[in-house]
Amino acid sequence: MLLQPGYAAAKIGEGRSVSIEEVFKPSSRLPARQHLAIYQQGYTARLRDCLAKQFTALEYALSPDLFQAFADEYLRKYPSESYSLANLGDRFMTYLEESRPDRDELIKEDWPDFMIELARFEWLINHLFNADVEHEDPMATMTTPLERLSLVPGIRLLATKFPVRWFYQAVAKGEQPHLPEAQPSYCAILRRDYKLTFFDLHPEQYLLLQALADGQGVPQALRWLSEKYGYDAKGLAEIWPVWYAQWQRAGFFSGSGSVGTTDAEQV
Amino acid sequence: MSSNLLHLPDLGLGLGLRSKHFDHILEHEPAVDWFEVISENFMDAYGRPRYLLKQIVERYPVVMHGVSMSIGSTDPLDFDYLKSLKTLADEVKPAWVSDHLCWTGVLSINSHDLLPLPLNEESLAHVCERVRIVQDYLERPLVLENPSTYASFQHSTIPEWAFLKAMAEETNCGLLLDVNNVYVSAFNNDFDPVHYIEQLPHERIVQMHLAGHQHCGNYIIDTHDREVTNNVWQLFQLAWQKTEGVSTLLEWDGNIPPFDDYYAELMKAKDFMSSSFSKPQMQEEAPNDAAEVSNPVDFLMTNLMKEA
Repeated sequence: MLLQPGYAAAKIGEGRSVSIEEVFKPSSRLPARQHLAIYQQGYTARLRDCLAKQFTALEYALSPDLFQAFADEYLRKYPSESYSLANLGDRFMTYLEESRPDRDELIKEDWPDFMIELARFEWLINHLFNADVEHEDPMATMTTPLERLSLVPGIRLLATKFPVRWFYQAVAKGEQPHLPEAQPSYCAILRRDYKLTFFDLHPEQYLLLQALADGQGVPQALRWLSEKYGYDAKGLAEIWPVWYAQWQRAGFFSGSGSVGTTDAEQV
Repeated sequence: MSSNLLHLPDLGLGLGLRSKHFDHILEHEPAVDWFEVISENFMDAYGRPRYLLKQIVERYPVVMHGVSMSIGSTDPLDFDYLKSLKTLADEVKPAWVSDHLCWTGVLSINSHDLLPLPLNEESLAHVCERVRIVQDYLERPLVLENPSTYASFQHSTIPEWAFLKAMAEETNCGLLLDVNNVYVSAFNNDFDPVHYIEQLPHERIVQMHLAGHQHCGNYIIDTHDREVTNNVWQLFQLAWQKTEGVSTLLEWDGNIPPFDDYYAELMKAKDFMSSSFSKPQMQEEAPNDAAEVSNPVDFLMTNLMKEA
């Protein structure tokens, strides 16, 4: 990798194997191959450290040794093609899917699903932290007409098989959580004033917010929720003001547009 | 005041801006003359770090220092990268934009390392052509730094100081002299660091870097994780005399200390700027066998668990 095409080809000739000693000089203290080894050893170690910072909870969940094994193989299989280290983990979830030990089994184990969901969760918040989502639209108030409500650009909605939000924050607090059992979980992540905040959601809250994110207005979304999932229409109409008050205070909505400018994402 | 041919200002004594110091800097506005930011930390990033950078550039002169231009690669120049770099420069309005005489990848793969070039007439022509293209695109002079190197090529025919001199004279780019890198590369590749600094075109040096390194016995790693060694301070004193004083900056990327300790290390430079000059006397450094990574980059990553 150190020897760029062009230089080597011109000097040495294509088609002939090239020894390290033909390319690199020895020094008074080290042979040529040990000079090269300094770069070889540094390459993986350097990028592994970066991945560990992008997937801190996953490193804890897998254990540092196993995470290192996955990270090293990932970096070998999917070397970085971006000038930005922020994109280093772009294909890590794909790699984890491809590497799951039960990939060819009919009956899947749970723990690889959890690890992959956790990796996607961490990657999503990495992206949201750097995303261009700050806005200057006026925030919705308690009196903003329904037709003017719009989810802010900095909100992401997640549905997961495992409580990855809980696990992530437990690791962040310095706790040592056990790997959780499967338990369908829903949350919203909001970036507001450059800070990320997590909100647990009930399934029906998640569905409603996702419908809003998909472009439905509030009345239509409530009706859709009732018709498709069988929720009690009267009950939904009664609970909406309570939910809205919480979400309005949290900053989920701006009050100047049509509903549905934000994509919902499903882990 | 400016003593360099590019007429770029002498900004004084500066520090590499690190995210753990953001809050301290904005709250206390320490008496640092200027800050250097890693360009890639803020390119394509619209989160809290860039928001805070906007506040810092309102209070301090800033220089943009990159690690991914890959000026020496045989891959085509990455104009997506250059566009993003220029966009950031238009926003930050840095005193100048710098990167390294190195390549970071080839065949579209990025090693995120600062890899050495074979130094010969062919590579000199190649680099000069690319420097001209970059300068035309950015509409500003490029400033290039001598990298720390751990290997040299059988096909190199030009000493690094002569390569830098020819490159700067042919393209009118500026030079960033990393004094620690000179020391590290000299030890690793058997050349005399004093001779290297004496031979450089001092009138084209617009900035100097200082940093700590780790001596590993048979080689030295440029770790940026500790105080500057006495040998490097002596080389800095020589370079300060030869350049008649240019903007000088301390880098610290691993085991980053509290801001006050970082600043105190920078202030040591004043002792070597004002004292009477004497020929550097290199002393043997005590090796430390702990394994370290060259050119650390993990400091470029934001630890979201602390930010969120």
